[in-house]
Amino acid sequence: MIQINMNLVYTIINLVVLYLLLRHFLIRPVTQVMEKRKQMVEEGFKNAQDMQNDALKMKQEYEEALSGAKQESVRIVDNARRAARAEYDRIVGEAGEKAGSIIESAKETVRMEREKTMKELQSEIAGLAAASAAKIVGRQTGEQADRELYEQFLKETAGKAGEGSENEDR
Amino acid sequence: MEEMNCETVFTLPVLGGISESVVVTWIIMAVLVIPSIILTRNLRVENPGKVQLALEAAISWAQDFFEGVIGKENRRYIPYLITVLLYLAVANTIALFGFKPPTKDLNVTAALAIMSMFLIEYSGIRKNGLKHWLRHFGQPVPVVAPIMVLEVVIRPLSLCMRLFGNMLAGFVVLELLKYFVPLIIPVPVSFYFDIFDGLLQAYVFVFLTALFMTEEME
Repeated sequence: MIQINMNLVYTIINLVVLYLLLRHFLIRPVTQVMEKRKQMVEEGFKNAQDMQNDALKMKQEYEEALSGAKQESVRIVDNARRAARAEYDRIVGEAGEKAGSIIESAKETVRMEREKTMKELQSEIAGLAAASAAKIVGRQTGEQADRELYEQFLKETAGKAGEGSENEDR
Repeated sequence: MEEMNCETVFTLPVLGGISESVVVTWIIMAVLVIPSIILTRNLRVENPGKVQLALEAAISWAQDFFEGVIGKENRRYIPYLITVLLYLAVANTIALFGFKPPTKDLNVTAALAIMSMFLIEYSGIRKNGLKHWLRHFGQPVPVVAPIMVLEVVIRPLSLCMRLFGNMLAGFVVLELLKYFVPLIIPVPVSFYFDIFDGLLQAYVFVFLTALFMTEEME
């Protein structure tokens, strides 16, 4: 019942063959597939990490570019404002000057006009006075009285004309 | 009584008598290898099927188990241990299908034990070198050297006898029970001896082999 014989050797051969077969057909393929999957998953993780890093870097670059643009725009707006103010000042100054010169010339014209008018008035008044004097002379004689009257009249009208011109100036 | 004998199935001209256990071992080899070929025919890295997932789960469970015992750096011995585990698991439960388990033949358990012995000593020599292997017999004191040398033989002998004794005893008890009470009663007993004890002994055999290897590689 209990005996050791050649079947021990056959069993050893059988086991070695079974080992080789199973290793080739079962354990190695399954292990390889599992290894491959593990590798794939690790690669996927690595790729995801890389992509995230890239995205972060790009975001940083964009932010830098954006802040640069903001500064640039602020500078441009400042420049534009400054230029506009200078232009405004220049235009307002010019307009003021022009208005001043127009007023000056208008004043000059008015003065000249008045002088001319006064001269005309004086000559007219003289004529009128002469005429009225002639009328008076026609009624009353006496050269002495004539001259006195004429002088007196001239004085009075000149005084009135002076007051009138002062009022106009104001 | 004739149930306990290992009959010679047929005789080859040169090799001599081929016993029943060797023939059953061939059957077990076929039972293990053919499904392996079929199951691993189209393995996929992406979208594995249910069968492939189950297969991977089983293999990775075994690999993790042996890695836990012998360490990650000794992965090369794992395929052999898995092979022995599968062979013993099938051999110990094959009585359910009407075959005589080959592990109740002393030749088979002795063969397994001798292979374990060579594997244990080989792993030690490979890991630490021949000098260290020779020197470790004299440690911690040279007086224990004879016992340490004996241990080389005793370890596989205990493996061999444990497996053989368990399987033979289970087989004999079950045959006697079947002879006296052929109805119903053998069912739970068969459950215990054929399935529970069979798988337990397979587990114990490979576990102890791995443990001895670790010891030898220290």
